[in-house]
Amino acid sequence: MDRIPALESLAPELQKGLDQASSFEALEALRIEFLGRKGRLADIMSTLPNLPPEERPKLGQRANVVKEEMNRLFDEKKAALTAAREAASLARFDASLPGRAPWKGSLHPDTLIMEEICSIFGRLGFDIAQGPEVEIDHYNFESLNMPPEHPARDMQDTLYITDSILMRTHTSPVQVRTMLKEKPPLAVVVPGKVYRRDSDLTHTPMFHQVEGLMVGHGITMAHLRGLLTAFVRGVFGPRTEVRFRQSFFPFTEPSAEVDISCFLCGGAGHTDGETCRVCKGTGWVEILGCGMVDPAVFEAVQYPADVSGFAFGLGVERIAMLKYGIGDLRMFFENDLRFLTQFSY
Amino acid sequence: MLLPLSWLREFTPYEGSAEALGDKLTMLGLELEELTHPFAHLAAITTGHVVECTMHPDSDHLHCCKVDVGGEALLDIVCGAPNVAAGQKVCVATVGTVLPDGTKIKKSKLRGQPSHGMICSERELGLSDDHTGIMVLPEETKAGQRLIDVLDVDSDVLDLSITPNRADCLSVLGLARETAMAFHLPFAVPELPLSAKGEGCEVPITIDDGDGCFLYAGRVITGLTVAPSPAKIRYRLKACNVRPISNIVDVTNYILMECGQPLHAFDYDALQGGEIHVRRAHENEPFVTLDGQERILTSRDLCICDARRPVALAGVMGGLESEITATTKRVFLESAVFHPGSIRKTSRRLGLSSESSFRFERGIDQQRTIWALDRACSMIASLGGGVASSTLNASEAKPFVPAKILYDPSSADELLGVGLGKDFALKVLKGIGCPVEDTEPVWKVTQPSWRPDITRSADLVEEIGRVHGLDNIAPVLPPMEFSLDRSGRPESEFSFWLRVRHWGAGLGLNECINYSFVGQKDLDALNLPAENRIAIMNPLSSDQNVLRTTIAPGLLQSLRNNLAQGAQSIRLFELAHVFSKDESSETGAVETGMLGILLHGLRNEDIWPFTAADFEYSDLRGLVEHLASFLHLGTVRFVPEEDHPYLVPAVRLELGNASIGCMGRVRPEIADIYLAQKPVWLCEIDLEEVKRLAESVRVHFTPLPSFPPVRRDITVIGDASLTVGAVIDAIRAQKNPLIEDIAFVSLYEPEGKTDKHLSFRLTFRHAKKTLKDSEVDKERTNVANKLQSVLGVRI
Repeated sequence: MDRIPALESLAPELQKGLDQASSFEALEALRIEFLGRKGRLADIMSTLPNLPPEERPKLGQRANVVKEEMNRLFDEKKAALTAAREAASLARFDASLPGRAPWKGSLHPDTLIMEEICSIFGRLGFDIAQGPEVEIDHYNFESLNMPPEHPARDMQDTLYITDSILMRTHTSPVQVRTMLKEKPPLAVVVPGKVYRRDSDLTHTPMFHQVEGLMVGHGITMAHLRGLLTAFVRGVFGPRTEVRFRQSFFPFTEPSAEVDISCFLCGGAGHTDGETCRVCKGTGWVEILGCGMVDPAVFEAVQYPADVSGFAFGLGVERIAMLKYGIGDLRMFFENDLRFLTQFSY
Repeated sequence: MLLPLSWLREFTPYEGSAEALGDKLTMLGLELEELTHPFAHLAAITTGHVVECTMHPDSDHLHCCKVDVGGEALLDIVCGAPNVAAGQKVCVATVGTVLPDGTKIKKSKLRGQPSHGMICSERELGLSDDHTGIMVLPEETKAGQRLIDVLDVDSDVLDLSITPNRADCLSVLGLARETAMAFHLPFAVPELPLSAKGEGCEVPITIDDGDGCFLYAGRVITGLTVAPSPAKIRYRLKACNVRPISNIVDVTNYILMECGQPLHAFDYDALQGGEIHVRRAHENEPFVTLDGQERILTSRDLCICDARRPVALAGVMGGLESEITATTKRVFLESAVFHPGSIRKTSRRLGLSSESSFRFERGIDQQRTIWALDRACSMIASLGGGVASSTLNASEAKPFVPAKILYDPSSADELLGVGLGKDFALKVLKGIGCPVEDTEPVWKVTQPSWRPDITRSADLVEEIGRVHGLDNIAPVLPPMEFSLDRSGRPESEFSFWLRVRHWGAGLGLNECINYSFVGQKDLDALNLPAENRIAIMNPLSSDQNVLRTTIAPGLLQSLRNNLAQGAQSIRLFELAHVFSKDESSETGAVETGMLGILLHGLRNEDIWPFTAADFEYSDLRGLVEHLASFLHLGTVRFVPEEDHPYLVPAVRLELGNASIGCMGRVRPEIADIYLAQKPVWLCEIDLEEVKRLAESVRVHFTPLPSFPPVRRDITVIGDASLTVGAVIDAIRAQKNPLIEDIAFVSLYEPEGKTDKHLSFRLTFRHAKKTLKDSEVDKERTNVANKLQSVLGVRI
């Protein structure tokens, strides 16, 4: 058998085979046929020992050249096939295919607002204080300068458990509890649920408040204005202005209702020629109540006469409604998922 | 409080607009709720002159009128009123006008005769209830004018919200005093001198309860004729939302609105014995009030009595038997001051609040009581054609004593953080009517009789701040003082809960907030015990009459709400306090923070790339385990529990020796109440316990292993009662130091057999060397053999 022509014909034949191969499986079959342990090259080489010793090197050299050539052809084809497969795969890639979406969780808007409020006051140096939701009349009313039969009690329709135990109508009793426990100076915010005997379009029997209290030496109403200005700017943006309107709460004096410049119309009262839907054209939005702690409250907790302080309280739902544009208060406690999932996460 | 601007102007010459006044009063603490124009609709009504008036040819009661309304042509108007007549000056609603009741006037024909407008009655104009005939204007009225310009009505009315401390502002007079101060205007009460020409008429007054009644005064007016009040008074009361009744009663209301002193007019002839006793009622004494209702009084109710019986519920409402009727000739007019708390108790107990009780509760200017009485007597006498008796009957059990306040003139500047100075303070205090002795170092300030809220130094600071304007104080951030006592305290509940909330939301749960109260029946439905519940004494409804003792009912209600909206995949969580009775607690309640998680329906919808499957036990358990790991709490033990009131199966959650809650499937018959057709998986975790455990956790770094792990699977075959937990516990019990982890891989239950095939993956690792395959195989065999002998299973 003439080995040299047989060797020389291997590469062209492989090329012919490769030209027709269109898959990695066919490629592998060709590799085994030509280059495998029992392939055609090996077959030829297996006769090498039969040759006279002087011819062996020559044939060996030829065989190496052929083998390299075949490997090269083979690698080329493999690269081409790989590229083709990649191209085909890219052509099928659909970037618009939806993601494997994790569940969409959410926090209640009240939680988001309370977190934001407490975090702003936290940065300003306030601690968190909390107290019971079932409260005694003494802390809820009497020690806050609202003795029995005080007409100010009308301002807060109350759910009672017994004649002297009630669902707290505001977070203010926590002020008293905190002051009874701790000496001045102190600065706390009190987030929590409160209850009123009231249910209509704009009232729910349970809602949330955040109360603030700061007591120390030389604390003034100017400080209260400064602090609340910093707070509302944190929530509603750096250009927000506050307005203090004289008001009345039994446990603060002087007392004020605080309005902020409307964050929708910027205080102009109208947007695009229409009356502003948030401030109803007034340019101001009522946001919280505050005042300097009434001396009667300090007396009730036996604080020294030379301290002063301020307190403020705000309705969480009100802020959420303003901030998110929610029109109906009752939605907060119906827990419709279509509502709950709109605010975060 | 409704304040007609034109009424205010009778006391102080305020010339500005109602809006400007409202703004100013608002900043002074008298908030303008609304500016109304109760007679605005009268601007569309035209005055007319009935030039011709003939009977309708086809009717026995209609008239055909030709009316001059100032235009070129006369208007044809068919009118059905009995009193219409030629020559009258009348009020005409022309075509296109809309009347207060919504009627729109159209061109029409009445039995063939054209009618281009309507001649109106007082009722049609919204001026009174009178519909007996058309309203006839004075002779001199010119045709073609706007009715609102012709009638003397109060066109601008400010609706002010008066805070409970400002009793003095529940009157036109009080608001005029504020207005005068705010705009630096003079303030004067128009004189209405009483000419008490009538003969003396003694009405002996005995005050039995001087704590309840401070001052009681009265005067008799005789020779009266009860009739409607003049238009001006009727319209003014209407502007104040008070229904005009008669010239006597209207005056009492007029004076009440004007100067804040409630008055009551008795028919003097109905007062037996002609005497007055102010006393507490007898227990269960019946009394019929003006509104015709019988009230059963208690010994805490103060009443006004004649010689025999109660004739009025003091300060709250008069009695039916002594009320002013059409035939009343002689009136005993009462003007008194009662104890605020006493009036409030009675008014609240009976659910009977009146303009009078509202003012008595807040405090009356006792130095104006007799003045108001005489002013009213004068008005009644003149309107009713009678004379007031010269006898003033009065008994003052407790004269008004003004508070004398020692005031350090720097107080306001110190508390407000301003530099207003002493001169300003003095000006303000005098401006609000306080006599001031500006002595050193503190001033002596006297309380004005009309300001029950001014008794202390702080009250004066408030006034100075109010007049300066709280809004004019420059804002300054407060200096923060921190105390080392408060550093390093445990995390607040709020902040811990917030972490858990973020955990839940981050894992894809939706936070809800339910009311703390539910209905007793909701707790009954969950088979919960009744004895530890806290009931609301005055609930708004039976759905909200008890505090929830577990978090479940709220979550279940939210589930129902969402199912009703068609939701298919529900993953709710809530953090809230639950409440149960605890006699040892100050509030009688123990409040426990709970985390509730509820899973129901589809884990995922069958949309790409998911396949639809319902939530099952492992979904909820996975969340519980994740929470424990999130808080570094260690391994939770899930211990089956029998006889849970509303869960079956139920599993108790244990950590160490503490039980931290339970989880399971809501009993199907309960789930059914909440519209759930598929399993409802619920867990309740005690956050107090969890927080306590989390606080004791110290997280320690574990050095990373240097040698590789080797894994081997092992399949255990047992009968149906074999549990994953039992196998894992049995492997753990072997205490093989090379086993680092045991993971459950799969469950296979061959069809038609009771066998259970449980596969586990064991991770082996040696701390100091690389394990050889042969070593690991030997360990695996070892484990398998021991399992066979301990559990009686096949491998």
